[in-house]
Amino acid sequence: MTQPAERLPRESLLWIFAAQFAALLPQFAQLPLWIVFAWAFAVYWRLEVFRGRRDLPGRAVKLLAVALAVGGLALSYRRWFALEPMVALLAVSFTLKNLELVSRRDAFLSLLLAYFVAATLFVYEQTIPYALYGIVCVVIITAALAAQLGNFSARPRRALGLSLKLLAQAVPLMLLLFIVMPRLGPLWAVPQNSASASTGVSDSMTPGDFTRLSQSDQPALRISFDGPVPPPEQRYWRGLVYSDFDGRRWSQGYGVDPREGGAVHWKGREQLLPEVGPRYRYRVIQEATNNPWLFAMARPISDTRGVGETEDERIVRRGPVYSRFAYEVRSWPRETLGEIHALGDFERRRNLQLPGGGNPRTRAWAEELRRAGFGAEEISRRLLAFYNRSFTYTLKPPALGADSVDEFLFGSQQGFCEHFAGSYVFAMRAAGIPARVVAGYQGGEWVAKEEYLLVRQYDAHAWAEIWIAGRGWQRVDPTAAVAPERIRDGLQSAAADEFMQDSLLPLHRMAFLNRLRLEWDMINYRWYQTVISFDSDKQQNLLQRILGEVSPLRLATFIAVPMAAALLGILLWLWFSGRGETLPATSRLYRKFCRRMARAGMARRSGEAPRDFARRVRAEKPELAPMVERITAAFEKAAYFDDPAAEKQLRRLLRLPMIKM
Amino acid sequence: MSAPQNSAPTLADRWRGLVQRWLNRRSPPSRSVTLDHSRLFILPTRAGMGFLLVVLLLWLLGTNYENNLVFALTFLLVSLFAVLPVHTFANLSGLRLQLLEARPAFAGDYAEAQIHVSRSGRRAREWIAVGWPSEEASYLDLYERDSAETCVALPVVRRGRVRPPRLRVESRFPLGLFRCWSRIDLDIEFLVYPRPVSAGPLPLGAAPTEGESGQAIRGGDDFAGLKLYRPGDSLRHLAWKQYAAGRDLYSREYESRADARLWLDWDLLAGRDVETRLGNLCHWALQAEREQTAYGLRIPGTRMEPALGPEHQQRVLTALALFPVQEAR
Repeated sequence: MTQPAERLPRESLLWIFAAQFAALLPQFAQLPLWIVFAWAFAVYWRLEVFRGRRDLPGRAVKLLAVALAVGGLALSYRRWFALEPMVALLAVSFTLKNLELVSRRDAFLSLLLAYFVAATLFVYEQTIPYALYGIVCVVIITAALAAQLGNFSARPRRALGLSLKLLAQAVPLMLLLFIVMPRLGPLWAVPQNSASASTGVSDSMTPGDFTRLSQSDQPALRISFDGPVPPPEQRYWRGLVYSDFDGRRWSQGYGVDPREGGAVHWKGREQLLPEVGPRYRYRVIQEATNNPWLFAMARPISDTRGVGETEDERIVRRGPVYSRFAYEVRSWPRETLGEIHALGDFERRRNLQLPGGGNPRTRAWAEELRRAGFGAEEISRRLLAFYNRSFTYTLKPPALGADSVDEFLFGSQQGFCEHFAGSYVFAMRAAGIPARVVAGYQGGEWVAKEEYLLVRQYDAHAWAEIWIAGRGWQRVDPTAAVAPERIRDGLQSAAADEFMQDSLLPLHRMAFLNRLRLEWDMINYRWYQTVISFDSDKQQNLLQRILGEVSPLRLATFIAVPMAAALLGILLWLWFSGRGETLPATSRLYRKFCRRMARAGMARRSGEAPRDFARRVRAEKPELAPMVERITAAFEKAAYFDDPAAEKQLRRLLRLPMIKM
Repeated sequence: MSAPQNSAPTLADRWRGLVQRWLNRRSPPSRSVTLDHSRLFILPTRAGMGFLLVVLLLWLLGTNYENNLVFALTFLLVSLFAVLPVHTFANLSGLRLQLLEARPAFAGDYAEAQIHVSRSGRRAREWIAVGWPSEEASYLDLYERDSAETCVALPVVRRGRVRPPRLRVESRFPLGLFRCWSRIDLDIEFLVYPRPVSAGPLPLGAAPTEGESGQAIRGGDDFAGLKLYRPGDSLRHLAWKQYAAGRDLYSREYESRADARLWLDWDLLAGRDVETRLGNLCHWALQAEREQTAYGLRIPGTRMEPALGPEHQQRVLTALALFPVQEAR
């Protein structure tokens, strides 16, 4: 059966454009601007065609458009095998399809594409707002599909209502599928979202880096503990170790990063695990950093797939963390570890490395201490005492010149954690003690009655580790010598006057808003815990909890029972909604009367008015007439004048026998 | 309509015959049909298959990116797909189609059937297509009304009584991803008149006389004389020449000795083949009716006295339509 006129009606076109717009809107930010304009222009052109002011583009124009689009994509993206160009390609195919949006088939194609584009959004973002937006998208696209059929379905309210109704009915089955459908894991390597710049602690440290991080209250880590919780002064989340100093910049040094060939133990440590159990077991959910390093306390081991341990007691991921990533960690405190190997020659040299020249005063000062014959701990103690005596912890340290360590130690004496850590390690190295800067986060804020620790970007911190013969690497935090409250209570209390001073609104000062933000973070956390990170392990656990035991039979029952219930519900609905309109009470009573008359041999003819029927009864069965006339009169009064009294009377009359003896 | 089968039935024909017999058993011809599960079939459309393809791609996307929100969307669309056939089915189920009238038509024209479609219950029905498989369907909605009438048309080629193939009732509501349809036989029978073939002017008075021969009949062709004009006389017959000459107003009187009435006679068209003759007669009948000249019909086996009016016309045309088919010699 052929379709009627294939030309798309106006409503149908507008719906398609609305669906495309909804699917593309969140992508506009990262798409090249020309695609956005091209899309808008294609829509404009198509609408002009609809108005009859322009023709659909000819073959030549279409070919030109395709060529331009391909060229544009090639210029905009160097790498083809990545996520962004793929999304851009979809957006471009939308645009080009608009130029030949003629038949109903084109409309369907465009809308199916829209579903896919809406889904790619989730590859970038999986937060609650985006999930909600995704639902809005699907509702609009489905409504647009519905609007392609029929005159009534194209009405906005009707189409949206229909779409919502259908999707709402689909939700139960979706939940069931979400729970039981197996997660297979990646079938092949896919391009990752790699365009955005890395955030958080970076692989090098120059004065000012951490001050910049202190301006951001974005979450960095969320950590939940299984078992004991470390006290605040132990909450050091190590991410990076900087061993290389070039006079201004601290960095990892070449060959440490796993991407540069740094040694990483990928399959758990094959070495013997310490005899004592781990002190802390915890699960870290890390926000996207676009970097491979992860954050954990000292001596970590992780069993999470794709996570390995490095020589300098950190954990890293095989690939960069492009989206939120969760990993399990066990940490051993140092003192529980047995024998400490001596520091290798190479390691010793690396951790004593200093630039050829510069900072003469510091060098001289350290040399003096070393000459005096003090041990590592004594030198460290003196240095910390020096900090404690006259230094200030500030978020707004003065700028430093070429000999930055000298200027800091003997000049300004005002600094942030990076100044303290940097100068400390420099001085220790100058005194001949192997030392290194460690960067990561320190502290965190409890959310929802100690459910998890929320670590924000402003918790970023740098501290030091020194090698002490026989005891190994020891953590020393020079900042703690100046501002112990920074370690105990966090940055906000240590630098209350300067904290988040540049933010537009001092929101952090409003306790109520702060609480609200923590609540929101908790919702996000639970969202991530239950939905986003629902993997095959959690699936197994959940099914085990629901079913007791995951056997094929129970699984089949679990799937079949709700399905059968749904089927039953649908059949009932079909039956009820297909039944005739429920008649008003008066009509039901009159029908009852008619049935009774039929039994008495006086069936009412179809279409016969009650009054005519009564007249016929008088003619054919006069003995029934008085009662019939009373009933008819009562019915007419009740039905046509909405007289409740008449209805009552009708009811009473019907209770009486037809003929009074 | 039974077409003479020249060659042995092909496999496709046999299959079609099998399907027809099965359909006849399942849904016997009736002037009023209520669609129910035994008459309705449902399958995904091409768009529906495309939708499944998108779902598959989404599943791959979700699997490869280990992205639970993409999974959720995938499963939502799968579930949507599972819910849809119910709605598509419900859109047709319980629908009652009733043949109101199968209008006669001329061969070579479209025959139209008026069909009454009604629903039971409160559920709205939308975008229902009714038509013959080969023709453009007519679409109707039962959205704010309980019943509707629709007209379906089928081109007819041969005169006579024509039984069209089964009607197709189809719906893709709500999303166009499923097609639910039924093939119903509303016991439609079209009366198809011969295709009118022009045969020159009406054969007035050309018919050979028969019966009351020789009787003078007023209103013939032969001039019989003048009579004084009386109001009511035809203006065409006024004797203008005499009037112009200053005499009174006269009417010319005519009479016909032959049967002056209009007979559409089979024998007038001798030498032409049967179908052409019938087409000529049909054309004349229509013309005579248009000109309001009483006409009679004389064909082998049937004789109808001259008369006028729709009923007469219909009788005449029916006689022509049902004239036995002559095997080609």
